[in-house]
Amino acid sequence: MPSAEDISKRIETAIAGATADVEDYTGTGDHFRATVTAAAFAGRSRIEQHRLVYEIFGTEIGGPIHALSLKTLVPQDAPSEGAPTPQPTTTQ
Amino acid sequence: MSSTTPSTELPMSPGQPVASAAPVASASEANPIHDAIAEAIAEHKVILFMKGTPEAPACGFSARTVAALQELDTPFAAVDILPDPRIRQELSAISNWPTIPQLFVNGELLGGCDIVMEMHESGELAEALV
Repeated sequence: MPSAEDISKRIETAIAGATADVEDYTGTGDHFRATVTAAAFAGRSRIEQHRLVYEIFGTEIGGPIHALSLKTLVPQDAPSEGAPTPQPTTTQ
Repeated sequence: MSSTTPSTELPMSPGQPVASAAPVASASEANPIHDAIAEAIAEHKVILFMKGTPEAPACGFSARTVAALQELDTPFAAVDILPDPRIRQELSAISNWPTIPQLFVNGELLGGCDIVMEMHESGELAEALV
């Protein structure tokens, strides 16, 4: 059963320069919520950003990991690569 | 033999067994479930693959996605993926998306619950559904 920390480490290892803030929101080791910030997301659609994270876990999603709720962010200083990237507004 | 009846049309071909104790047939054979899903996505402007039905969602993520669509008064087709594990398997193969729910608009995957909720909060969902 993965811990929030395991999930976080795997994301940060798989996506260069990513930071992943992961929470086990049921406390049962199978429902996680992750906020992932990575320059690699720049220029990609939200769907593609989420796929990059889901791909790390393959069939574990829907298996031992029942839910991995995602919020993906591009760091403020990441170079934009053309396509508009959803930039969540952070609080002032 | 399942009596599950989604409130909106289930695009499985009539006579397609929805529950089976038999081993799943080889994926390389003719694949009516794959075809039925692809057809349903092509035929409905807005279609949601979910756990349970809009009236009785079987999962919080599906429930939230249904609620967002209902708030916007969007007509949508819904398919319950629970009656047969092959539905989910084939759907994910088509969409390259591992989780449920999945919302398709104009034949394309718009997102799962997280993306749909983000888009709902920002107003993008209403625009995407026009």
